[in-house]
Amino acid sequence: MHDAEPSNHSAAPRPGHTSFSRQIGIPLLTLSLAALMAMIFSIAHGSSSIPLQDVIAVFTGQGSDLQRTLILELRLPRTLSAFATGGLLALAGALMQILLRNPLADPYILGISGGAAVGALTAMLAGLGGFLISGSALIGALSATLLVFGLAHGTGSWTPSRLLLTGVVVASGWGAVITLMLALSPPQRLPGMLYWLMGDLSYARTPWPALIILLMVCLVLTPFGRSLNVLARGPLQAAALGVAVKPMEALIYILASLLTAVAVTTAGSVGFVGLIVPHMLRLMLGNDQRLILPACVLAGGTLLTLADTLARTIIAPEQLPVGVLTALLGVPTFLFLLYRSR
Amino acid sequence: MPHLRQLCSAALLLTGLIPFAWADALCVLDDKGRQVCLDQPAQRIAALSPGATELVYAAGAGDQVVAVVAYSDYPPEARQVTSVGSHTRVDMETLIALQPDLVIGWVTGNPVEQTERLEELGLPIFYLEPRTFEDVSTAIERMAHLAGTDTDGLAVAEDFRQGIDTLRQRYQDSSPISVFYQVWKEPLMTVNGDHLIHQVIELCGGENVFADLPRLIPRIDVESVLTANPEAILAGGMGEENKEWLTDWTHYSSLQATQQSNLFFIPPSLIQRPTPRMLAGAQLFCEKLEIARARR
Amino acid sequence: MSCLELKDLIIDVPARADGRAISLSVEPGQVWGVLGPNGAGKTTLLHTLAGLRPPRSGQILLNDEPLASLKRRAIAQHLGLVFQERQDGFPATVRETALIGRHPFLSAWQMEGAEDINQAEAALAALDVAHLGDRLVSTLSGGERQRVAIATLLTQAPEIWLADEPTNHLDLHHQVAVLELLSRQAAAGKAVFMCLHDLNLAARWCDRILLLYPDGEACWGDTRSMLIPSALEKLYNQRLITTMIDGTPIFIPARD
Repeated sequence: MHDAEPSNHSAAPRPGHTSFSRQIGIPLLTLSLAALMAMIFSIAHGSSSIPLQDVIAVFTGQGSDLQRTLILELRLPRTLSAFATGGLLALAGALMQILLRNPLADPYILGISGGAAVGALTAMLAGLGGFLISGSALIGALSATLLVFGLAHGTGSWTPSRLLLTGVVVASGWGAVITLMLALSPPQRLPGMLYWLMGDLSYARTPWPALIILLMVCLVLTPFGRSLNVLARGPLQAAALGVAVKPMEALIYILASLLTAVAVTTAGSVGFVGLIVPHMLRLMLGNDQRLILPACVLAGGTLLTLADTLARTIIAPEQLPVGVLTALLGVPTFLFLLYRSR
Repeated sequence: MPHLRQLCSAALLLTGLIPFAWADALCVLDDKGRQVCLDQPAQRIAALSPGATELVYAAGAGDQVVAVVAYSDYPPEARQVTSVGSHTRVDMETLIALQPDLVIGWVTGNPVEQTERLEELGLPIFYLEPRTFEDVSTAIERMAHLAGTDTDGLAVAEDFRQGIDTLRQRYQDSSPISVFYQVWKEPLMTVNGDHLIHQVIELCGGENVFADLPRLIPRIDVESVLTANPEAILAGGMGEENKEWLTDWTHYSSLQATQQSNLFFIPPSLIQRPTPRMLAGAQLFCEKLEIARARR
Repeated sequence: MSCLELKDLIIDVPARADGRAISLSVEPGQVWGVLGPNGAGKTTLLHTLAGLRPPRSGQILLNDEPLASLKRRAIAQHLGLVFQERQDGFPATVRETALIGRHPFLSAWQMEGAEDINQAEAALAALDVAHLGDRLVSTLSGGERQRVAIATLLTQAPEIWLADEPTNHLDLHHQVAVLELLSRQAAAGKAVFMCLHDLNLAARWCDRILLLYPDGEACWGDTRSMLIPSALEKLYNQRLITTMIDGTPIFIPARD
């Protein structure tokens, strides 16, 4: 799983050497630059072509009305939504993986997004629109998490493998419910439902709730980075080293559910980001959560921003669901890294 | 082009009717190009799409319909007929138990596995897929022929044909106006040049801004609508009265359609099914475009 | 200097009668050895003393304060534990693993500084694993992992050392090295409390012994008075041959 070459790990802190901040700073700076470039790329591309100097003109307060609408009202919010959603999903995945100490953990595998999807589809079937679909998805995500963790808890304390197994089984249950709902849906509602299930950022109305929650969760997590590192070594070891394990696990669980719910509410079911991004970063950057968690936000956001730009432009003006692209981009990259790291 | 199309459909009509002249059997060509023959007029008709149901009733054979599928809501009497599932999943047992002597299939709407099975069971299937106004007329005529209601059917088909011709003559010299027709909101969908609705747009002297896209019902983004900048936007809706889709466009002040308030609602059932009601839909469509022209 | 006091402590071994309540005090400079057959509750006792599981009854005082009332972080600043079973979480290098020993002493916003890194490096060197610093723990041998775990505790440098079979997986030389290290810690004023399987190592390096019987019975005292052949034979249900070498009793299992 893990590359054993020293150069791939946080470079050896020799006695008297500099603090961790340099090892954390350089990767994060690189990823921030990548994120910025992905955003610029995303804003500069769309189904209608706008020359780069016109894009810059719009940001300096010039440009035609149409260009201003296209860039400021359509592309900019969508780019920000894509970035926020990717960041939310990757961070949620990374947290779930620490909680379960299992690299397979991911909001989708644990059935959280399945619950959100059932909530959203119910709203669509009822003919509700807009914010009611979002609200319904949020309720679905939260109740799915409660269900999984409640069932996994059962009569005793939960173990990570039991939680994962419960999540997987509950997720396939949601899958069946989704299929049932699709089978019973009036045909004219099907395209909307299918696109929602594949994950689609054109549903994103405003990026602000997602961005604000992402930022708040990052701030909440900042002081816990080292505690998460210790927790990743197992709950007993963590408790012996002074981590209050139960409150810590409850915090991670609540934050990860919230992140997933907000992501699903913003863009539907975009899969693979939460699984692949943290894993890829761990293969490349080691496993210090103080680096990995912010790196996940940046890399997840970058990945989804790029994927969404492709989804909007590959066969423009026709549109593809972004979830298909994250899977098509993410799976081979992930497999390649896994293969190389052996 | 219209002339050529009329010529072709006339030929089709003739080939459909010729066998009637010399044989006892009732034979017509269906939209798959198959010859469908019945020994006697159909008495028990199963219509496997809401559109087919409407066409059978229009052909004057409503009393002979024994089976319909979900959402067959027009004419209102059709709601009382036994349903055999949905057009995507037909309840074969119920359908066969009703012993239909003619099944009206939908070429691209019904699952091939099911219609093939019905063919194997020896049920005569008449496949429909009207792609032009003339297709709608001949569909009514052919169906009426199979059901033995030629008089009624020919009259309805002729009314429709003439109604469309009247619209065509009235608007063929109108000044062109660019139109975006919105099929659905989430995801945003429209029609390309092959769609019947595109022909409604042309009929009314409009120009479909997305006519050249490769897919019949392409999924697009808002950006491309803003760039195409149509003079009028016409939309269906979630329901017959639901016009909320249009209000979204009012946010985009750079759109000509928004500037001139050319945002119009067309009840989807009048335009999205290839049936005689399209005439009313097309009339409404043309009136809206006239309003838009007047606002120039 | 810290001490750990057990007051009428009964550990919670499921489906076992209460047995004898343990009352003893682990004090600076002492090296305690816990002996007992499999399933006697040695690991449970150690986890209970570390506050990782509640006792069935009785009390544990860390510097006169009930353990149950202390925050985990406060406990970890005084008391550390080497586990027998190690959960393999996410991959981590040897150096990273040793460095987490500093966790209880760093504030939430603090990064590990040069001082902490030096401490971890010194601990790794003390256990002869400094050359493995960049290796992943999961790629090490059992004995190397054991030494890394002890190095982590040495980095933590608590005043009370709890160790569950610290010589597990170690070769003879490293067994001796580890026990020497523990007794040096005790000599420097730390208190050591460890479970051992090897009677002879206990006889040689422990000054206090706690015998735990499978039925919950227990007895404790200084080594000389506890390591009585008849008591040990009853403890392990095994006949022993005893001899004295170098002033220390040596126990060898007898062949039946």
